Amino acid sequence: MRHFFVEPFQYGFMQRALVVSLVIGAVGGIVGSYVVLRRISFFADTLTHTVFPGVAIAFVTGHSLWLGALVAGVASALLFSLATTNRRVDDDAAMAILLTTFFAVGVMVVSRVESYTNDLLVLLFGRVLTVDRADIVSTVAIGAVALCIVGALHKELVFRAFDPEGAEAAGYSPLLLDIALNLAVTLVVVAALQAVGTVLVIALLVTPAATSRLVTRGLGTMIAVGAAVGMAAAYLGLVISFSASVDHGVRLATGATIVVVLTVGFTLVAAATWLRRRPAVAA
Amino acid sequence: MIPALELDDVCVAFDDVRVLDGVTATVEAGDSVALIGPNGAGKSTLLRAILGLVPVTDGHIRVLGTTPRLARRQVAYVPQADTLDSEFPVSVLQVVLMGRFREVGWIRRPGRADRAAALDALGQVGLADRAHDRFGVLSGGQRQRVLLARALCQKARLLLLDEPFNGVDSSTQELFLEVLARQREAGVAIVMPTHDLTVAHLACGDACLLNQRQYGFGPIGDVLSPDALRATYESQALLRPGDEVILTDHHHHL
Amino acid sequence: MIRSIGDIARSDLLLRALVEAVVVGALGGVIGVHIVLRRLPFTVMALTHATFPGVVLAGILGLNLIAGSAAFGVVVVVLLWVVSRRRELDTSTATGVILAGGFATGVLLFSAQSGFDRDLTSYLVGSVLTVSTADVVATAVIASAVVGALVLIGGPLTFSAFDRIGAEAAGVPVVYLDLAVLLLIELALVVSVPTVGIILSVSLLVAPAATARLWVDRIGASMWLAALLGATAGAVGIVISQAAGTAAGATIAVVAGGGFALSVIGSPRHGLLARRRVAARSFAG
Repeated sequence: MRHFFVEPFQYGFMQRALVVSLVIGAVGGIVGSYVVLRRISFFADTLTHTVFPGVAIAFVTGHSLWLGALVAGVASALLFSLATTNRRVDDDAAMAILLTTFFAVGVMVVSRVESYTNDLLVLLFGRVLTVDRADIVSTVAIGAVALCIVGALHKELVFRAFDPEGAEAAGYSPLLLDIALNLAVTLVVVAALQAVGTVLVIALLVTPAATSRLVTRGLGTMIAVGAAVGMAAAYLGLVISFSASVDHGVRLATGATIVVVLTVGFTLVAAATWLRRRPAVAA
Repeated sequence: MIPALELDDVCVAFDDVRVLDGVTATVEAGDSVALIGPNGAGKSTLLRAILGLVPVTDGHIRVLGTTPRLARRQVAYVPQADTLDSEFPVSVLQVVLMGRFREVGWIRRPGRADRAAALDALGQVGLADRAHDRFGVLSGGQRQRVLLARALCQKARLLLLDEPFNGVDSSTQELFLEVLARQREAGVAIVMPTHDLTVAHLACGDACLLNQRQYGFGPIGDVLSPDALRATYESQALLRPGDEVILTDHHHHL
Repeated sequence: MIRSIGDIARSDLLLRALVEAVVVGALGGVIGVHIVLRRLPFTVMALTHATFPGVVLAGILGLNLIAGSAAFGVVVVVLLWVVSRRRELDTSTATGVILAGGFATGVLLFSAQSGFDRDLTSYLVGSVLTVSTADVVATAVIASAVVGALVLIGGPLTFSAFDRIGAEAAGVPVVYLDLAVLLLIELALVVSVPTVGIILSVSLLVAPAATARLWVDRIGASMWLAALLGATAGAVGIVISQAAGTAAGATIAVVAGGGFALSVIGSPRHGLLARRRVAARSFAG
């Protein structure tokens, strides 16, 4: 047991990977609670893909990834708002087109660089086993800002999620609240670049909170359990992929392992709650 | 005293379609106006215009002497409870507290005074003992009461209630009538779209007939004449012998 | 420009790529009309991502990639269909979980069999330049089958999209139609994913159809227009990618998206510019 759960972390690189993953797990679980309550999983997914060209361009030109992500995030949010004012355009279709077009731009940018495969993969899937101290600091800092945003606006975000009409009538601008949440999501995506990359971060935003929702009844507990699930999955994902590699010679991508752990967890919990809810068969 | 609401030839259009035209009315403190008209008549649009959520294309709206936007703190809105998600993990008390959020301001959390005000409002609707239950486990009528309590919490001077008597049980209905009467005595003005003409007579002193344009405004007894109703509802109202009017819209009758 | 087209005509490889892109584009347009109509773009995203493990598994087991991904795809289709029918589960959240979980499973399998040494990018962004003649023929055959099926069930399909309750009352098997649409989409994905990759295949399945909707009103006409727009995006994308040296699949997606953007702004009846002119006129009096 000790061998499986504790020994991997005698190594510096595993310790650092753990810190980054735990932070992302917690932040994803918390910010993700608002994503799940607002039912905007698709929009969050869209954001994770539209952020990619900003990150790619910044990466290729040597600028701050965070800045690239922010610019791309803002641009896509504006374009989305513009497109959906048109009655002939469905939200879903606009998001899908925005997502794929932006992502394609990112791929084009990266593809112009010779042998772009490796860089593309790193941006897309992360590389948590090679994070250094500076990465930890930036992950924690960016994650903290995201938490501050949702923390400060907690009651308003919940109000809007529960009763959009009432919140608007009370004078809360839906646009501003949405922009705030989108900003928090964008920050989580950037913070998670190292751990899981842009493609899988949606799992960290949606699955822990979705799992928590199935078993909790109050708001505070839902958010807290979401964070706990995120962290637990991060930890388990790390030890499993380490053990697979070191003990069994099977290479499992770390970020993907974390996501699979999350998904298995969700499936088990969903199955359990479904079985419990089925009415007992009358004798 | 400043009128709670002044509508002066109000017209609202979306793109190039006029959804409301020529609405004129004055609502004083303590008045209660029923907005009567078929589905799609523009009643909800008018409420949204009063809240400042929809721009007025022509004419003016003055709420408590100022623009709708500036008056919002003093205006409380009660939506229909069945539009809300019953699985949402929020308690009855938390819902009522939402009415205090503007008072509490940004970033800060509701304090003791806010909780006391919320519990008091819940008491007024007879649900103080359910404060910590999840909102969704309550019955439809009870949920509607919670939303009313939320509005009471706001201590507004103008109450807008969207079809508050729709599908609620009779005890809730009675309670609502009591609460609304007390609010009127305290000088709060009330505007409510409704399909139920019986209730409109019980709860409101005035009525405004709407079907994209105004067909009448004034004391409810005068305005709700069979002819006027028929004109408002067009083919959706039938005149039966003895001047009994049946509105086929929404299956409500007099 | 002429030089590039001449080059393409001379190269078998590019010709095959061009034909493949045109067919996939046209197919995407046609079925895309129903995807947009039934609000399925997110479900399609989940389908593309969750089918990925099937492709990897087929690769590992040495099975034909198309057959493997199709078989796995059926499983995913059924899963998404079941999820959408359960009322207590929030569909969008569950779809998100399936999307990410499925894709991560594929990545996991992929890394397990050879680390990331092999080229994962061909799954993500497609590799239209490496299609063989057999691939092109298979694509054309499957595309024809899908379009044929759509024509066959087009009437009830449209009916159930506009008025589900009415269609049900009229005896239309709406639940099975939902399943049928998902299966047809899966078939379309099976041929378009190798061309433009997982994420970008959604572009051809949504953008041409959404664009067509800004120009024409009737479903039949929009299917023709969407097919034309999709085919054009495919062709233009290949030509530009050759001239600019960019990834082919990505270029096609950008062309498709660009066409949509231009139409949102400029379409004579539904574009933003047109509506401003109308609004200005009505208040001028």
